[in-house]
Amino acid sequence: MPRTAQARRMKRRERVLRKPKFQADLPPIEDGAVRRLKDELQLTSNSDFLCEAVALFRWAVSERKLGHRIMSESASGEKRILVLPRLERIAPGATLPRVNIEWTEAELESLAQRVSSEPAKPTPALVRAMKG
Amino acid sequence: MATIIHRMEVSDCVEYFDCGDEPLNSYLKKHAWNNQRKSSIGVTYVAVDEAAPQTVIGYFTLATASVPRDALPRRAVRGLPPYDLPMLLLARLAVDRRFKARGLGHALLSEPLRIAVAVSEQAGCRCVIVDVYPSAMGWYERYGFRPLEGGKGSSVRMYLDIRTVKAAQQHEGITG
Repeated sequence: MPRTAQARRMKRRERVLRKPKFQADLPPIEDGAVRRLKDELQLTSNSDFLCEAVALFRWAVSERKLGHRIMSESASGEKRILVLPRLERIAPGATLPRVNIEWTEAELESLAQRVSSEPAKPTPALVRAMKG
Repeated sequence: MATIIHRMEVSDCVEYFDCGDEPLNSYLKKHAWNNQRKSSIGVTYVAVDEAAPQTVIGYFTLATASVPRDALPRRAVRGLPPYDLPMLLLARLAVDRRFKARGLGHALLSEPLRIAVAVSEQAGCRCVIVDVYPSAMGWYERYGFRPLEGGKGSSVRMYLDIRTVKAAQQHEGITG
């Protein structure tokens, strides 16, 4: 194999293995908060702290993208919902695109009758789908 | 098999997906990502197996739509306020044929219905609409979708009222 190709492969491998470094300028209050969180979570390095934070954030983003709400529940059953403006931006209601659907006259009539009627009772399969 | 459903990412592997229907395969492989990322025409959610989280084994695509109030025939409308009718369009839903009969379709359908409830609370959604092959009608009817009459073309348009979906969510006991 020519040396240049080998060198290119080595360089690519190095790029894959290289761990990017983060540097953050934090105001003293947030720096203190990070230190306290690290103590509470018994994390010794900033890298571990960042990994844990990213894991939590990834989960929150994936849940919110599915339209799930994130909440905490106390022992007495009191529920509190997490509302974070940045997370709300990715919720389906805010991100689903809008399209035009073609309708026939007959379909529109049928649709009008459906929406004007009392809703049907949920079928067992629908109940299972919504409870699962 | 533990299934994860998430919004499509560029890293998802769709190359081997085969639901047995070429238009549905082709949409996922050629158009789903671009429609989501570049054109904002539809958002695709994919199902993956936890053991092989890059390989897509099922998917569905969603968009919102509305019908202008004036487009609905006056004689057929009762008790609707004078606004457009917002709806969620379940544009596509497919399961890889190697994973059929394992409840994946059920899991995939439940997710857009949950999203529909969330959208109804955030932005308004009166119903879920889906265009299905006649052969799939029976499956959707099990979940309460009802056909809208008078369509043209080879598919059938079906309707599910969001109030029915919400009633299912609040249902106490499961019967049947």
